[in-house]
Amino acid sequence: MSRTELLSPEGLRIDGRRPAELRKITSTTCVLSQADGSAYLEHGNTKVLAAVYGPREARHRALVLHDRAILNVELNVAPFSTGERRRRSKNDKRLLEMASFVKQTFEPVVIATLYPRSQIDIYLQVIQHDGGTLQACINATTMALIDAGIAMTDYVCACTAGWVEREAAIDLNYIEESSDTSEVTIAMLPKSSKITLTQMESRLHVDKLEEVFRLAGEGCKQMYEVMDKTIRDRAEDLARKMAV
Amino acid sequence: MATPAFTFTPSTFQKLHPAEFFRRFTTEGVRPDGRLLDSFRPTTVHHGVISTANGSAMVRIGGTTVVCGVKAEVAEPRLDAPDQGYLVPNVELSPMCSSKFRPGPPSEQAQAVSEAINRVLKESKVLDLKDLCIEEGKAVWVLYVDAVCVAYDGNIYDAALAAIMAALNNGTIKVSGGTAANDENSFKLKLARTPLSATFAIFDTTLTILADPNVTEETISDGQISITLDETGLLCGVTKIGAASCSQRVLKDCVQSAKKRTLQLRGIMNQL
Repeated sequence: MSRTELLSPEGLRIDGRRPAELRKITSTTCVLSQADGSAYLEHGNTKVLAAVYGPREARHRALVLHDRAILNVELNVAPFSTGERRRRSKNDKRLLEMASFVKQTFEPVVIATLYPRSQIDIYLQVIQHDGGTLQACINATTMALIDAGIAMTDYVCACTAGWVEREAAIDLNYIEESSDTSEVTIAMLPKSSKITLTQMESRLHVDKLEEVFRLAGEGCKQMYEVMDKTIRDRAEDLARKMAV
Repeated sequence: MATPAFTFTPSTFQKLHPAEFFRRFTTEGVRPDGRLLDSFRPTTVHHGVISTANGSAMVRIGGTTVVCGVKAEVAEPRLDAPDQGYLVPNVELSPMCSSKFRPGPPSEQAQAVSEAINRVLKESKVLDLKDLCIEEGKAVWVLYVDAVCVAYDGNIYDAALAAIMAALNNGTIKVSGGTAANDENSFKLKLARTPLSATFAIFDTTLTILADPNVTEETISDGQISITLDETGLLCGVTKIGAASCSQRVLKDCVQSAKKRTLQLRGIMNQL
């Protein structure tokens, strides 16, 4: 067989996970001293750093909105992050598209009317890429925005799911993602279970979509628990330090 | 009456007269962050942090953090050196690491640091470039050495150079077909020497020397001296920039201090 087996006869995936199992998530907030808010997130071997600056004075006068803040998202992929080294320019269409996904995901969630005439800058740096960059970027941004103290109506939790050979599976890694699997990324507001982003760019049978969607939604809920724990632990830690 | 017309809180005073605020400290031989004039910030080095890279390291000097990854690729050799590979170092100062930097093409500072490091690597012959030859005139290895600054708090040159050296030291090239990292199809990069640097800021007309300046010290100082030394204590580079003129004595003191500092940094780098 020419293709690598993505699913073992026992139903385990290539990295030994079960279909509905997330990779190990490591997350911390407040990692950068210079930024107003920052977060570092690992989904298995995918590592993303997010920094939030602002709300601050908008850089270009022309862009200022008098009744709310503007969001600015910039995504940077470190040249050593992928298997093949590729010089990705600042204007790489793929990166711009991903940045605009993140921006559009957060625009309805951030209460921008609280910060009129200002700008919120979100800088994302992908340090290592092993599948699921968009979900990692969205999750890291949520945590960095919370760390910066920017008002939001809810968390935004993202998760990918796809149809791997004969089963639906969540949180695809790079090998699964690149071997002709259809992949769906969804971003969800966990409290209201509303979906703010869905993205899929490959063929998937309509009958399978519902199952994939359901799994991705469950993945988002699991993500939410991990992220919420990190945020709460951090807040408790701060509260303890301030009390002393 | 001796009462002044205005009284400032310390933080207001610092904002209005940063240099004067700083001078009050240096005359007492300390700095606002509690360091002595000749002390460096705590430094940590982590090896092999990126598994997609051929070699990688993360260096933290105080609040400055640099992640460096080495990627090896096959390319055609240059016409004037058909049996030599080459190194392409690059330092990235993205807007993420400080509000000082704007998005867009690499800033002048980022390019200057990249070029300074490129010169050190080339002129002090850190790697024997002939080791990177696969077949003369046809194919050689190119090492892309990318240092990404994730948090900027001054002294990027020391941090970037240390990260690059640690990443190169950690680098293994896998010849295609090789599976395990230690089989005969892969080889470790052999470094001829490991240059490391120490940077000092020159403050005021009194030529007060501040070791390892942070970002505020960089903005109020009049010049900087960077001294690069290899493990035998040989100089690999001396750079002095800025308007402040410096005497022979100052330079000598800096070299002495740099010797001690690079020795200490080497110790930190070698503990795995």
